[in-house]
Amino acid sequence: MNFMKRIFTGMKQEAKPESSVMAEEVEKSTVAEVSQPEPEPETETPSNFPVVRSVIQISAISEGVFPKDSDEVSIKAQPTPTGDQCLFTVNRPLMKGYSWYFSDFESATESSLAEALFCLDDVEVVLVCESTVTVTRKDKTLVDWIPLAKEVGTAIRDALGAGKGLIAEKIISNLPSEEDIREGIQKVIDDEVNPGVAGHGGNISLLAVKGNSVTIQMGGGCQGCSAADLTLKQGIHTSFRKAVPMVGAIFDETDHTAGLNPYFS
Amino acid sequence: MPRVNTFKVKVQTGQQGMSEPVHFNFNNHKLPFENVTGSAESGKVFEGSFDVNSFAHSLTLVGPESGKWEIEKITIEYDCENEKPYTVHFGRVTLDETTEVNIWQDAPVLAFDV
Repeated sequence: MNFMKRIFTGMKQEAKPESSVMAEEVEKSTVAEVSQPEPEPETETPSNFPVVRSVIQISAISEGVFPKDSDEVSIKAQPTPTGDQCLFTVNRPLMKGYSWYFSDFESATESSLAEALFCLDDVEVVLVCESTVTVTRKDKTLVDWIPLAKEVGTAIRDALGAGKGLIAEKIISNLPSEEDIREGIQKVIDDEVNPGVAGHGGNISLLAVKGNSVTIQMGGGCQGCSAADLTLKQGIHTSFRKAVPMVGAIFDETDHTAGLNPYFS
Repeated sequence: MPRVNTFKVKVQTGQQGMSEPVHFNFNNHKLPFENVTGSAESGKVFEGSFDVNSFAHSLTLVGPESGKWEIEKITIEYDCENEKPYTVHFGRVTLDETTEVNIWQDAPVLAFDV
């Protein structure tokens, strides 16, 4: 209650000078019309208007996830809010500087880590990125990740302990340059993705390429849209992977809560 | 969009501080902190809190009306409805009369060891 009172008090206090400024402006313009038949167009914002501040976004500092200088393999599982995927963070590098998307068991040939994960019943897709593994499960109706996550943890440990190459040599030796990835992804965005989302007033921009991982941002009508996740996973991911098969992780850095009036603006 | 019961903020100021009262912006309503201790002057630590009891759409720390405010570290303790209290840390940022910094962060997703 106290807060609400203060909000309304604050609103009134802010509203007063604004309305008086507007009234003054009306008076001024009326006077101007009488004395000067051609009033000059307003070019500057009156100084009494509140300044619209820009909001700076800074990343939160993550406290150490794992104990320092530990020889043991530690794995943290973090299911996504949608429940269909789980992120596994390992205290060991799995694929330094790069990422790789394994769409099925065949694509995992000679990659011992992905092979071990695809041997589990409920694993549909595997994405390895630096020291993380993201697993998408087949059964989207199950929300409890604990049983499968434990199996995934064991499979990752076994693969690390086996000493074989976690990622196939043919993949490592054929990794594309950042320039190739940038060119390919930008072409898909320009030719396919942006014309598609333009119908909803949206747009997609490529923010960064690191290794073969890309970071994109949604703007316009896509920012804050309730279907943004669907657009991202079923539309953008599919288009990117079809046109640029070597692309690894696709990060979305859109702040869907920001913007003055996202979606229906 | 959780309902925030209360939040406490601790701001470590760097070399350039400010002497103005510290304000935050909750859902676009600019308000001063309560239970204030310390200050936002150079090298000092400012602490304040606020009993919000409302749903969070946005929460920012507002820059000074004039001059610059160099912040070394921001620590926020959130107490939200149906959530365990959680703490978020933000790093270095410089604010001025045209800027504010987002300090809202959803509760961390539950992670477990496997």
